[in-house]
Amino acid sequence: MSEEQVLYHSPLLYRVLREASAALLIEVLVGGIATSAVRVHLDAQESATYAREGTSFSDRLAREIMARPGFGGRASDV
Amino acid sequence: MMRSVCDLLFVALLAVGCDKPTTATPPEPAGATQAEPVVATQAEPAAASTCDARQAELSAQADLLAKPWSIEQHLGKNFSDGKVSWLMKKDPYETYVVNSGARNFGRCDDSGCYLFAAPTAVIENAVVKSRTGATHDPAVLGQALGLPAKNFEGPLRMMTLDLDAAGSCVRLPMESDPGVWKCATAEDKDCFKFGGYTSGNVPEVMVIDAPVAQAVVTEIP
Repeated sequence: MSEEQVLYHSPLLYRVLREASAALLIEVLVGGIATSAVRVHLDAQESATYAREGTSFSDRLAREIMARPGFGGRASDV
Repeated sequence: MMRSVCDLLFVALLAVGCDKPTTATPPEPAGATQAEPVVATQAEPAAASTCDARQAELSAQADLLAKPWSIEQHLGKNFSDGKVSWLMKKDPYETYVVNSGARNFGRCDDSGCYLFAAPTAVIENAVVKSRTGATHDPAVLGQALGLPAKNFEGPLRMMTLDLDAAGSCVRLPMESDPGVWKCATAEDKDCFKFGGYTSGNVPEVMVIDAPVAQAVVTEIP
């Protein structure tokens, strides 16, 4: 298992992580009466936006993932 | 009274092989801002009596949308013992509750922490049904709760909260609540439909600021 660095842990129940490869991903808790986590790798544009806007962007992204946990096929279950 | 109810829950879950429930004792919070509760007045319904002004307004809006249904009727019909429960996979529970030192369950923003919860008896019965040897069957648990089996794979944690003892605000969940996934089709599962019931027809409420310290946490292997 690769090492991960937690860049941000949000009370909104998501984390922004950096993999050993330097790739960014976001882990988001999804669901209602039964919650689980999904992960989405940020693409180049999203990574750049996160670098520029920080948690205001990751908040928006997390809310989008909560609202569409499959996230267009990009999300994987943890 | 609370003690005896928890003991009963413990005994019931022991019967299906679960570990002893524990009351979580977290360190300092992860950063959720707490809203000051509004003191109950005689004019307020019981469910809204512990809500702050913002949540009381949202509850009123939800009741208006749900009319002639209301949170009061919902609690009376589906939550008469005042007990709510919810499930989390073990790893997210460890990460987002224990290790983060969360003070309240749920998704937190500046206005509070928002948690979906179901009647304890419903969750408890589903867990009992899903029991297979030393673990549980995610497909059976999913079927019982009207949710996809993948939501229940691996070890779980079941949290139970006595709403009266916790004093948390409770209202009907709304589309604007954090974590809501709106259903796109009638066949969609694990998504939000307004009215106090999940897409799998399990009663649900939105609990605001459910305290971690007052929840009984039960391991489901």
